[in-house]
Amino acid sequence: MKARIPVVAAALLLVVSGCSAGSSASVSAGPDTLSVGFTAEPANFDFTRTDGTAIPQALLYNVYEGLVKLDAQGRIVPLLAQSWTISPDRRTYDFRLRQGVKFSNGAPFTAEDVKFSLLRVKKDWTISIKSTMDVVDHVDVVAPDHARVVLSKPSNGWLFSLTSRLGAMFSPAGVADLANKPIGTGPYVVAARKRGDSVVLKANPAYWGRKPAYSTVVLKYIKDPTALNNALFSNGIDVISAITAPDAIPQFQADDRFQVVQGTTNSEVTLAMNNARPPLNDVRVRQALTSAIDRKALLDTAWAGRGTLIGSMVPPTDPWYEDLSNVHPFDPAHAKALLSEAGVTNLNLRLRIPNLPYAVSAAQVVQSQLADVGVRTTIEPLDFPAVWLKQVFTDHDYDLSIIQHVEARDITTFGKPKYYWGYDSKRVQQLLAEADSGTPEQQVADMKQVARQLNTDAAADWLFLFPNVIVAKTKVGGFAANQVSESFDLTGLAPR
Amino acid sequence: MTARVLRRVAIFVVSVLVASIVVFLFMAVLPGDPAQVALGVNATPELLAKTRTEFGIDRPLVTQYFDWIGGVLHGDFGRSYVTREAIGSQLLDRLGVTLWLVGAGMLVALVIAVPAGTFAAVKHRKASGASVSGLSQIGVAIPAFLAGIILVQIFAVQLRWLPSGGWTPPDQDFGEFVRGLILPALSLGLVQGAVLTRYVRSAVLDTLGQDYLRTARSKGLRPGQALVRHGLRNASVPVVTVLGLQLATLLIGAVVVERVFVLPGLGSMLLDAVGSRDLLTVQGIVLVLVVGVLLVNFVVDVLYTVLDPRLRGS
Amino acid sequence: MRNLVIGGVLVGSVVVAALLSFAWTPFDPVKVDATHRLLGFTGSHWFGTDKFGRDLLSQLMVGARTTLYVGVVAVGIAAVIGTPLGILAGMSPRWLGEFVMRVNDLVLAFPALLLAIMFGAVFGADTLTAMVAIGIATIPSFARIARSGTLQVMSTEFVLAARAGGRSRLNIAARHVLPNISGLLIVQASVSFAIAVLAEAALSFLGFGTRPPTPSWGRMLQESQELLTVQPRLALVPGIAIAVAVLGFNLLGDGLRDRLDPRLAARV
Repeated sequence: MKARIPVVAAALLLVVSGCSAGSSASVSAGPDTLSVGFTAEPANFDFTRTDGTAIPQALLYNVYEGLVKLDAQGRIVPLLAQSWTISPDRRTYDFRLRQGVKFSNGAPFTAEDVKFSLLRVKKDWTISIKSTMDVVDHVDVVAPDHARVVLSKPSNGWLFSLTSRLGAMFSPAGVADLANKPIGTGPYVVAARKRGDSVVLKANPAYWGRKPAYSTVVLKYIKDPTALNNALFSNGIDVISAITAPDAIPQFQADDRFQVVQGTTNSEVTLAMNNARPPLNDVRVRQALTSAIDRKALLDTAWAGRGTLIGSMVPPTDPWYEDLSNVHPFDPAHAKALLSEAGVTNLNLRLRIPNLPYAVSAAQVVQSQLADVGVRTTIEPLDFPAVWLKQVFTDHDYDLSIIQHVEARDITTFGKPKYYWGYDSKRVQQLLAEADSGTPEQQVADMKQVARQLNTDAAADWLFLFPNVIVAKTKVGGFAANQVSESFDLTGLAPR
Repeated sequence: MTARVLRRVAIFVVSVLVASIVVFLFMAVLPGDPAQVALGVNATPELLAKTRTEFGIDRPLVTQYFDWIGGVLHGDFGRSYVTREAIGSQLLDRLGVTLWLVGAGMLVALVIAVPAGTFAAVKHRKASGASVSGLSQIGVAIPAFLAGIILVQIFAVQLRWLPSGGWTPPDQDFGEFVRGLILPALSLGLVQGAVLTRYVRSAVLDTLGQDYLRTARSKGLRPGQALVRHGLRNASVPVVTVLGLQLATLLIGAVVVERVFVLPGLGSMLLDAVGSRDLLTVQGIVLVLVVGVLLVNFVVDVLYTVLDPRLRGS
Repeated sequence: MRNLVIGGVLVGSVVVAALLSFAWTPFDPVKVDATHRLLGFTGSHWFGTDKFGRDLLSQLMVGARTTLYVGVVAVGIAAVIGTPLGILAGMSPRWLGEFVMRVNDLVLAFPALLLAIMFGAVFGADTLTAMVAIGIATIPSFARIARSGTLQVMSTEFVLAARAGGRSRLNIAARHVLPNISGLLIVQASVSFAIAVLAEAALSFLGFGTRPPTPSWGRMLQESQELLTVQPRLALVPGIAIAVAVLGFNLLGDGLRDRLDPRLAARV
């Protein structure tokens, strides 16, 4: 048919490109191959220069390892460091390293690499959390298996940070092309990647520990939450790492082929209130807004009731967790009273949110509930990360916002007056400093006070703690219910 | 006729150039600082400035434009601000996927439209013809993504006959490639088929009443033969024009279908790039899409001339 | 005739629903009600509720406003800019007409969705940017129709006489061209309206259209996705609404074409 020629010709012209499109990341399914679905694809493999959780989610603990890691209960346990001691003045840490560890490029792992990796943070990393490493004064290589780190002042947060990407161990010969070729000591190496589709991890033959049960893991990136669910149903993947369409979970529960594992995360879905901007600088107004929101109803409608109600910036896996979720109960009458006491009428606030499903859902509920107490809001979805990061986070151009704060122990952000919260409390700053430099017991006591102060001051409203919901085929086991770090830890997974 | 074709070529080239300037200027207006996005939140002003120089976005616009367009003509679309990879090769990969999708969709549409439209035209006074025509009306009204959502639910999730999404290149596993393409092609093709059916029907109806057909019949050809030999060739003229117009709509449908079926095509690449303010990538994709449409229209124009002898003389 | 009637009825019901929604809806379409989530077809909620407990029928009615609003503004922009352009191209010396048509083709090369995504990225995505983008992308269709209609009218005896009689271009355009091509334009308007409705639905589906919580059929479709297996009603209700509106406008266009241009009617 002549009519078809232009189209077929155009298609044929580039059939070569189509044929070769994506010939690299091909994997045939087998009993020792696992396919895991994620929503956010890593832009590259260098988490020292690129923010966001997508990269450590794939690489931390799987490809890169640190001296220590977090176990499923959130406790610090040995990894590359077999043991460690802390000096009485809490400034010197002596790490005894594991023997026989090699990087995937064959180089042996020694205390020299510890020194190299820790000092590199200050010099070469560009992301904001690198400042946690500033407290390191110097690192001594006492012996090939003994590294000594001396801090300029005691810091509990420092050891904890070693369980995150900050503590990842690099080899000097392996940092030439971090964006494309990550070289770590972990059980997997990156074998291939296909943009817009997947990353393939293969077992590291030189790994020091137990070989992982799945020698090949395909990380499949599917942005759309429903498409992700559908992929599991139609056998495209074996595991959904995190459900983002929770209303669909009952379908999986009703099906014998699948299991649903639910636990907690570190992600607080927070209604941020710009403390620096009137009228939100008035604590009564903030408390009023907090009282106007029925968080249980919000969780039920926006996130199908899955998640935990929290009263401050602390998840249950932190040692100083207390359930403060009922301190400001849902009380619209009280909210109205507070508002008139503060002399505020006809309030009209801009709710500038990232264009992500949980934020869009929660915002609609917040808007409706605030309207019930006479506060009008305008929802403005912003592109995330580009626009939200610039306008809300950097320029502080917002009244209200809703965002997940995913980093562990990010309660410390309330100690920074320049952070977008706009919250400036000398008492909190003092307590945070004491908690960091004190003993572990002091830390727990002080942090509890910080959490309570934030709650009393209504520095923000913590809508709920984002749940960790993993859905997988029944034949896959070894999942940790709680997500305690940025990593999606593949090392414990095995067939049942 | 050659003069006419040459004129068309000249117009095409000029259009492409103008389009590239429009696209470039548009991107220059977009708010959001690529350096800020790439470096994240706490980047120092010095680092930001250094990165801006590295990206080349602190140079005057004219320099940037010529640099860019010069590179494009060599196939170099620059490096993405976000992934730091060459845009060109990724563009090609993704374009391939979108083309397969659009091509398959077009195929499905034609396979539906040509017989259905002809049938509806030939039997237009009977109930069967009218009902086909009616069905095509309804088909036009359904958005491609709705068709996609429904098809996924039935065939992928419930029946599990076909995958719900994803892409396998044809040289890797041809079977999987075809299986993965069926539902997306159907989503695009069913709706486009409905649209085309109506055009085919009206084009065939037109030619049915034409003189040369009656001449053919009077020469002794049976209705079927007359239709195929003379009618369809002439009916294909407006259909070819329409195909050109429809390609633009097909591309739109492809963007949405790519989202529903998770196909790594140009559409999803565009949406991702816009979301992450990856301006250089957006520029490249938009240029390719626009030039693509211009190219198809150009080819259709030329073919139009070839197909319709009445136009050759002018 | 049948097309006109059916099309008119379908379009009419959408218009009536939209107009009615200004005065009354069964429930408040944006009020969240956690105790009445995901209800099916019931006595009080005819089409049930969504996951926020919001009444679907009310959302449908207010969503009709958005749909019509987008169609009217988009087609309005296209008609107001495209028609004079097309008439100009048809009445001018050949080179100018050709030039205008080439520029037209260039605009045509930017599909509506692409323009809407680009506009959304610059100005922030909401109903207004979507409407303007779709409108701009529809200008070429109007310009083309206006031009080809103008060319035909220009060769008629009335116009030849008027030109011989020394009438100005503007006069001819207003008195002869416009009235005679208005039929074509109305048909085009109807067809373009249908396309605008589909485009808005697609944009809202992708997240570039109407902002929450303003009800929009396209966004209702997008929100229905995650619950598709358990509550297909959530997708069917807006999906059918979209289909009804598009079908209505297409049929209306067809019917009008039959009525206004007897020559075309004879073919069909």
